[in-house]
Amino acid sequence: MGLLSDPSISTQNKLVDNLAKHVRKVCCGLYILGVVWLGCLALPEFNHGTYLSENALSPGLVYPEIRLDANRLAIQLLEELQRERKEHKSTTPHAWIAAKLNEFGLETHTHNYTLRYPFGGGKEYHGKNIYGILRAPRIASTEGIVFTAPYRAPSSVHPDISPSVPLLLAFADFARRKNYWAKDLIFLITEQEQLGMQAWLEAYHDGDRVLNVSKAYLLPGNLPARAGSLQAALNIEVQDLEIDYVDVKIEGLNGKLPNLDMFNLVQRIMAREGITSGYKQTARKKRRSNPSLFEKNLRQMLAMLATQSSGVPNGNHGLFHRYRIDALTIAAAKRQTHATLKGNAGSAAVPLLKAIEGIARSLNNLLERFHQSFFFYVIVNNDRYISIGDYMPALVALVACAFFKAYLTWSTLDSEVQQAAAAAVKPAETQTGSASGSGSGVETETDIDTELEDGLPYGSVLVYLTAVLLIGYLGNVLPLQQYFLEIPMGAAPLTTSVLSFLTLIGFILPFVVVLPAGGLELLHVGFLLIFGCSLIIIGLLNFALGFFVAVITVPVVIALDTSEQNCSGSMRNLTRFITLLLNPMVVVYVIVLAMSFYQYPELKLDKLLLRAATAAMDASAYGLIDNVIYGNWLYFVVSTVFLPLWILCWTLSLSKRRDIADYSDYEEPQPRKPQPEPQAKFKTN
Amino acid sequence: MSWTHLWCVGALLLATAVAQTTPKDEHFHEELVVRPLSGDHVNTYFQFTTRWHYGQKENLYHTQLTPRVIAELLQQFDVKELHIGLTQGLWRYETWGYPIVEATSGAEMWAWFKATNLTDQQVDKQWAQLANVFSGVLCASLNFVDNTNSIAPKHLLRPQFMPANRENFVRYASLPREIVCTENLTPWKKLLPCGSASGFASLLNSGYVHNTKYHSLGLKVRTLCQDHDEDNCILEMTQTANLVYDLRLLEQSGNDFSLRRLFGMGLNGYCELASSSKIYVQRNELGARYQLVPPPPAEETTTRGGYTVVYGVYDMQEQFQDQGERLFNIAWLAPKGELRRNRQKPAPPPIYAHRYLLGQGQERGRIVTEVTNSHYAPLPILVQELIPWYVHAYLHTLNIRRRPLGRNEYGSETLPFKLLHYAPGKQRELPTHLEIGFLLPGQSSALITIDVDYLVLKWLEYPPDANHGHYINAALVASALPMGTNYSALPLEGHLFAHSFNATRPSYVLGLHTEALIVSLPTPDFSMPYNVICLACTVVALAFGPIHSVATKLIVVVRQTSAPRNFLKKLKEKLFSRGSPVLPTAGEADVPEGAGCLPPEEQDANENDNDEEEEKEREKEDGEDKECAH
Repeated sequence: MGLLSDPSISTQNKLVDNLAKHVRKVCCGLYILGVVWLGCLALPEFNHGTYLSENALSPGLVYPEIRLDANRLAIQLLEELQRERKEHKSTTPHAWIAAKLNEFGLETHTHNYTLRYPFGGGKEYHGKNIYGILRAPRIASTEGIVFTAPYRAPSSVHPDISPSVPLLLAFADFARRKNYWAKDLIFLITEQEQLGMQAWLEAYHDGDRVLNVSKAYLLPGNLPARAGSLQAALNIEVQDLEIDYVDVKIEGLNGKLPNLDMFNLVQRIMAREGITSGYKQTARKKRRSNPSLFEKNLRQMLAMLATQSSGVPNGNHGLFHRYRIDALTIAAAKRQTHATLKGNAGSAAVPLLKAIEGIARSLNNLLERFHQSFFFYVIVNNDRYISIGDYMPALVALVACAFFKAYLTWSTLDSEVQQAAAAAVKPAETQTGSASGSGSGVETETDIDTELEDGLPYGSVLVYLTAVLLIGYLGNVLPLQQYFLEIPMGAAPLTTSVLSFLTLIGFILPFVVVLPAGGLELLHVGFLLIFGCSLIIIGLLNFALGFFVAVITVPVVIALDTSEQNCSGSMRNLTRFITLLLNPMVVVYVIVLAMSFYQYPELKLDKLLLRAATAAMDASAYGLIDNVIYGNWLYFVVSTVFLPLWILCWTLSLSKRRDIADYSDYEEPQPRKPQPEPQAKFKTN
Repeated sequence: MSWTHLWCVGALLLATAVAQTTPKDEHFHEELVVRPLSGDHVNTYFQFTTRWHYGQKENLYHTQLTPRVIAELLQQFDVKELHIGLTQGLWRYETWGYPIVEATSGAEMWAWFKATNLTDQQVDKQWAQLANVFSGVLCASLNFVDNTNSIAPKHLLRPQFMPANRENFVRYASLPREIVCTENLTPWKKLLPCGSASGFASLLNSGYVHNTKYHSLGLKVRTLCQDHDEDNCILEMTQTANLVYDLRLLEQSGNDFSLRRLFGMGLNGYCELASSSKIYVQRNELGARYQLVPPPPAEETTTRGGYTVVYGVYDMQEQFQDQGERLFNIAWLAPKGELRRNRQKPAPPPIYAHRYLLGQGQERGRIVTEVTNSHYAPLPILVQELIPWYVHAYLHTLNIRRRPLGRNEYGSETLPFKLLHYAPGKQRELPTHLEIGFLLPGQSSALITIDVDYLVLKWLEYPPDANHGHYINAALVASALPMGTNYSALPLEGHLFAHSFNATRPSYVLGLHTEALIVSLPTPDFSMPYNVICLACTVVALAFGPIHSVATKLIVVVRQTSAPRNFLKKLKEKLFSRGSPVLPTAGEADVPEGAGCLPPEEQDANENDNDEEEEKEREKEDGEDKECAH
């Protein structure tokens, strides 16, 4: 603060004077720079070709040994499984899977877990995972690799991926008869989508915890057997043994990604086996339009950022990243047309089995945990990537606006008050104590500064900030309180009503509480600092979320102006309107609306609006559940960071001031209105 | 506790064994035990025993069957008992039962020292030297054994030498990172009287031995002396090789196997120096379904602690009585048409243990040892932990929780300690040593947890492949079983596998090893220091040239026409004038500017000219003193 209040910078510096006049232009420039920078990264000149950094992986060093008999076994197992599925409509054929794993000579175990669903009076769900461990001959169970396949019951709404289980089992049978494994292989079949996976991982890493049954939501239990420290994991989701293409899914919880080496490894091996594979791979369509490379790259990049920004993993692999286990999903899509069918059905899965074998053997080669290549990257093409060093400047440029503006606001604020104080030469009466605890640190001890210290209402602004942050905190805590949970009400309406109530408080707050003179400016500085810091932190943890939020909010932040002169200008009204639109609840609703518009284009507008409303309510409830069960912090960020920031932003855009009558209570001169001096900054717009 | 009682009994028996042995003799025995295990595994256990009644210490200079290095050992050091194990893989108690000899994965070593007036410091020194000797003898990294990873176990290890009644010293160390391979097998075989030329050792071909799921080489040396008579001693050296084959990994599928298929060749005879040379083949339980070709000439039934095992015995010296080159082979033929499916899980042994690391992140974790008692009665358990210094353990977090076997997770029900020995570790000096004794109720598991912090190491302390992680040693678990189910270890006083037959005792001392652990300590990005070093070196190199030339060149005052000014100003002026591009005028351009290699006089002349020229050009005040730095 000593730096900030250095008088040589704040008053006499010409640079600051000039910059303060053009603060908006500079900020707009930075904003455009940031957005254009990110766009430019899609150009081939700005991104890099992928390469394998970890030599130990050496993909394709060995010839695949898996043969047709494994494919035959997979087909036979699939037939058996289909028969089992007829009997188990909504459950998993645990007995059959366990019998198969046992038959192949694996150490087979089951893992039971319980979910206590907290809402609507509370319910209990029980789940069961089956896993078999292949004890590697070359190691004493100190390291392991996990191969997982989620099992979906026939009653599931998601696409049927039951062939992944036979494929996994066929590979397990093959692997069991090889003696080169230097890491234990775990073959895990989970149920209930990501819940089973989460429970298994928690049990693996925290199995000894004594959980408070009334507080905990997921009771993972303990695992009967483990395989040392897990090095990598591969999740397999196969729709059919005859596959069209493979989509490699990498986005994990909170936007975390597996090591780029792992993605490259999968790409290389798939290419060797002649499987069409890629990141966000889709079925090849007829070429109607031929987009340029730049456009394709940009789309790919934005698609990746969009997936990452929600923080919800797009496959079971995403939950591994939290434990520093690199994992990804290979999702193989069913072959749609039979026109391109080359081989016969009897050998259809051989390439995929060979690919899995190749990946497994490369991972088996790993001497060290993945550490060489990038953990933070954006994939622009299947073989091009952007590293963190290249994309971070885009976000920094956006957030720099906030800091820049905060600094200039602060420096001009100082001088304003000083001048005002100096103009009205009343150095005598000093009311001490009003703002002493604020830690502002105006160090120089002249009379004028003492006056200034009185002038800025640090205390009340601090109280205001705390109150607003408290509202955000309540949004995170309230929906899980016992008395709320006991209300016989679904999770969605409960969460939504709590959030709406808090938003309403935030909406009313600036009308009720009016800050004393100078408070708004001080609040503005505080808001800009909090905004900048939180966006940078969010961007470091989950770049996509931070960047998207910055893109939509920074213009408003730039436009915010608390001065009184253009109090009723159209600009001010526009800012207010946009601020209202940027309310987190509204933004969530708009996103859901847009998504449902794309998903159900046949719906009429009124039905669409209604549907989007219920979907948005569900979304907020899911966010909360994801938060408490999986540790996804999107809900936390929205309720505890973005909501308070919005309330602050709303306060600032309203710029409610005390009436003149209120001002006259103060013996201090009115600092704002009469500003004829040429040195007045900050009034340029 | 009950096992101390057992030790007394053992010691008594041992004394009788010593008394019975006839003096001045040396015997070598070779034995091979083949036991089919569940899950299509086969355990083959080789034991080579040399027993030498050497009498006085002076006789140790004249070795015959015993390797010289072992005999010298007893002369040089005050070691009375020594165990070394080199193991690859992990013994799976739950499916395979108990092994005949125990070993932890990696390298393991412990020794007992005893002499009059022996001090701890001397023992430490001897221990390090001993480890170095065997590092050379077995080509293993045992030279890494020192005080930073050795402990002196208090309760868990018991002496097997005689007389062990007065003050003894013991040291224990294990190196979990050690990888055991051919380079260890070859020197190990060289310790045998016949080497690998003939006898059972000819079966140990590295190509086959290392294709197993578990292989463990052991070396055990102990001395048995009569009480109060140091000149009547026996040196007993036992070499063991314990292998577990996985039949599914053998090339040909099917459940049949033979010596030839397991070892690559048949047996070419017996070691001519051996007093006995026998193969024991288990015939009951899982061995019952096999038909043996050729059928065993003799069968032996042993009942030990209510547990009966039938062994088929092949005496090689009988088999090879008639002369002629041939290879002996035994084939195990499984009944045809037998399917593998729906195989029953084997009943777990009474006690088994596992170990794992819980927690996430690179800051802290919990070391968990889980001991399960599937017996109906409570059993005493001793657990010994050796936690390396780079992991800080907190004693106050140590607790033992219990769960009944049917339940899935542990509650907060704790078990009381009956015994606790704790020697705190010291960074870079001592490992943490912990021994816990408790009574584990029947049909229940105990979970022993202790919280640890991971230390940030100095950058030179990271091993190569730092991101592989650091190892935490396996825990040792000991108990005393009331029955001999699945128990096949040698009795304390015996030295041959055959001595375990019908060796019923009040209780059976059992030792188990858990898994070792890998922990990811906070590891720096080692490419970053490299970059920093490169950058720093470049900067230093760039700065070095000018600084060196400034610091080493001689300053010679040439002409003094006016009052001297201060040095810095002159230097500045000098540098400034040198840097200016107008310096070398056309006439003097052939002399390179700043040519440091010129002799001082010449350079001075040049400099003077230059400077004069400069002065004119710049119209500076004349009479400046000129200097040249060489």
